[in-house]
Amino acid sequence: MRHLIAIAVASFAATTVSTAQAADFALSGQISYHNDLAHIDFSVAAGNTVTLWTDSWQQGRNFDPTLALFSANGTLLAVNDDYFDDAFPDRTYAGAGGYDSGLTLGSLAAGSYRLVLGATFNAPVGTQLVQGFLYGSETPIALIDWNQPTYDMNTNDQKGGFWRLNLSGVEQAAVVPEPNRYAMLAAGLLSIALVVRRRQQKR
Amino acid sequence: MGRPTKVQPVRTGNSRRDFFKRSGAGTAALLAAPALLPMSAQAAVNTVFQHGVASGDPLSDRVILWTRVTPATAKPAVTVSYVIATDPALTQVVLRGSAKTNPGRDYTVKVDPAGLKPGTTYYYQFSAEGATSPVGRTKTLPTTGVTSLRMAVVSCSNHAFGYFNAYGRIAARADLDLVMHLGDYLYEYGAGQYGNVRTPEPAHEMVTLADYRLRHAQYKRDADSQAMHRQHPLVAIWDDHEITNDGWKDGAQNHQPGTEGDWNARVAAGLQAYYEWMPVRPVNVNKLRDNHRGFAYGDLADLLMLEERLSERSQQLTTATHVTPFGRGFATTDPGYGDPSRTLLGEAQEAWLVDRLRTTPARWKLLGQGVMFAQLKAPGANQATDPGLYFINGDQWDGYEPARNRLYAAIKGDATHAKVDNLVVLTGDIHSSWAADLHPNPYNPSVANGGYDKATGAGSLAVEFVGTSVSSPGVDTDTTGSIAGALRFYNPHFKYVQLTRRGYMLIDVNRDRVVGEWWYVDTVATPSNIETFATAFEVRHGENHLQASAQTPSRANPPLLAP
Repeated sequence: MRHLIAIAVASFAATTVSTAQAADFALSGQISYHNDLAHIDFSVAAGNTVTLWTDSWQQGRNFDPTLALFSANGTLLAVNDDYFDDAFPDRTYAGAGGYDSGLTLGSLAAGSYRLVLGATFNAPVGTQLVQGFLYGSETPIALIDWNQPTYDMNTNDQKGGFWRLNLSGVEQAAVVPEPNRYAMLAAGLLSIALVVRRRQQKR
Repeated sequence: MGRPTKVQPVRTGNSRRDFFKRSGAGTAALLAAPALLPMSAQAAVNTVFQHGVASGDPLSDRVILWTRVTPATAKPAVTVSYVIATDPALTQVVLRGSAKTNPGRDYTVKVDPAGLKPGTTYYYQFSAEGATSPVGRTKTLPTTGVTSLRMAVVSCSNHAFGYFNAYGRIAARADLDLVMHLGDYLYEYGAGQYGNVRTPEPAHEMVTLADYRLRHAQYKRDADSQAMHRQHPLVAIWDDHEITNDGWKDGAQNHQPGTEGDWNARVAAGLQAYYEWMPVRPVNVNKLRDNHRGFAYGDLADLLMLEERLSERSQQLTTATHVTPFGRGFATTDPGYGDPSRTLLGEAQEAWLVDRLRTTPARWKLLGQGVMFAQLKAPGANQATDPGLYFINGDQWDGYEPARNRLYAAIKGDATHAKVDNLVVLTGDIHSSWAADLHPNPYNPSVANGGYDKATGAGSLAVEFVGTSVSSPGVDTDTTGSIAGALRFYNPHFKYVQLTRRGYMLIDVNRDRVVGEWWYVDTVATPSNIETFATAFEVRHGENHLQASAQTPSRANPPLLAP
């Protein structure tokens, strides 16, 4: 959860986009530690099939991602590590490699959702977002020093922290700023306020 | 002598079924299965983990665990979980984990779980695709209080030439710490080119990545190989046949660029498959050709595993002209013989080896390496016209004399470096059994003048145990031992030469001595459980020369074998 450099780039793939029409988005960013998580909020209109997938694994150049989808109130709806699904072997995701993640959701109710992207096997611990993730209590390990459990030791891959998420059939999508940043911002504001108050008291 | 010279076969379950399984008849049974067996019985056939499990490169806190998944249909990714326990029933779990594999690594799985305890036997199992693997057994290296190391040493396991009965016998030994494989784990040849007991897959010489993968897969389906891998961690190096015969840095005797393409591409393909299919830990992923590495067995022994083919080896001498009964030999005066730039190890590995020999705190330095270190000479075929002795194998250290002498110089020590004692060289490659005292010129009988005394071993600087092949042919015509006898006559440093038998070496180390035992199987033409103790030699602490020894006792109460 720490040190997330959320360089979120939202690019509109669709040529004509309006708020009423579902769009295709590609969001990307960088994680630095093995238990970093990227949070993405998106909203859905009724009747759309929503497809979410990564294409950043790139044969091990970057980490192996896992996606966890939560409802607006933080209930776990779906988890996917690898896009390939025995039940839907013909389902394809453009650009996705073997360890990329993908979800196809045909029955999402209109509303907003929270998607969490992390490094496999950092999956949700329970059925609620507040219950956290498997690696959440571990001391952060810089990716460069970490062998992801899914890595290939013969090529020593999985050192890149880049991720890219594609969203299809959603209304809008954005990377949520790292919660710690709010905390730091709040702490900073608080300290300024304290200094100001002390100065005022000295007068 | 009062010691057993023949060990009765261990009866393990239905021996006839075992026979058919090992003889490959199981393949036919499997093909017939859908029509003959109820579904429940079919499900019991473990197709997902049909290549078994293996472990290797143990350290004091981790060991490589290996398997291969065969999914029912091709998949871009397969998640595999594993469990490690201290008991064969897997109830005392110490670690659980997950990993993945994909077609890009031929569905092979290799994990390196850390946090294990030193000198401890563990049992492990993989699961994937709704199936579980056989349970494997492995052992980490000890760190302190080490008084004993007991291991099997094998080499030259040729599937086409016969059954891996030696592997089967090793699998039945519960008291081994590890198995050392000194190379030629698999062979490149096509059907009928070198051995015709079993048909290689693919049927042609392996050249491409697909070829190498298929061949590895065939070897890993062998029942005896699976049994050995399931019970013991492996410490392996390659020799030449993992790529192709008589390889060196830039080519090989059995590589024809005109028809088989670029040498570097072939090596890359062969090594990719090797690292996928072998339970080895890459030393440097940016230079996969160099896998030399050391294993500290507490302060009892340092296992120094050498790379002598692909990283730096100079081309073999091509100047042999002297006719001997063993083919053309070469003399010390031949061109190239004295060229100090010719190397087997290369500068960096040579420096690493010398440094480890000089600085290791271990009592014994065990060199695991591919080609014979001791000199091997034969007389000119016509002694009337050509009375000399000639080196007959330019592929072994004889062809790299200045490089060998640099190591001898390090062993002897100098003004600033102490002499290196207790060096034991372990060797494969030559499909036969040899025990040798090591000396830069054992043909000089005058110890006073820096020579070697074959009667007392005086002058010897180290010793070498050369293990026979698991299945590759030796000089099988030497049924009377006359050829072996002649070789010993001309080469005084050999204490034992046996050219016809297949099997393995058992190395038993304690603080006082290293014993090398030669164990032979009765045949490789058919599956067999019969093995025979042949002989043993030992080197005692500080003596650096061989003497006759005896069969060492098995350890009492070894950890249970995997089920």
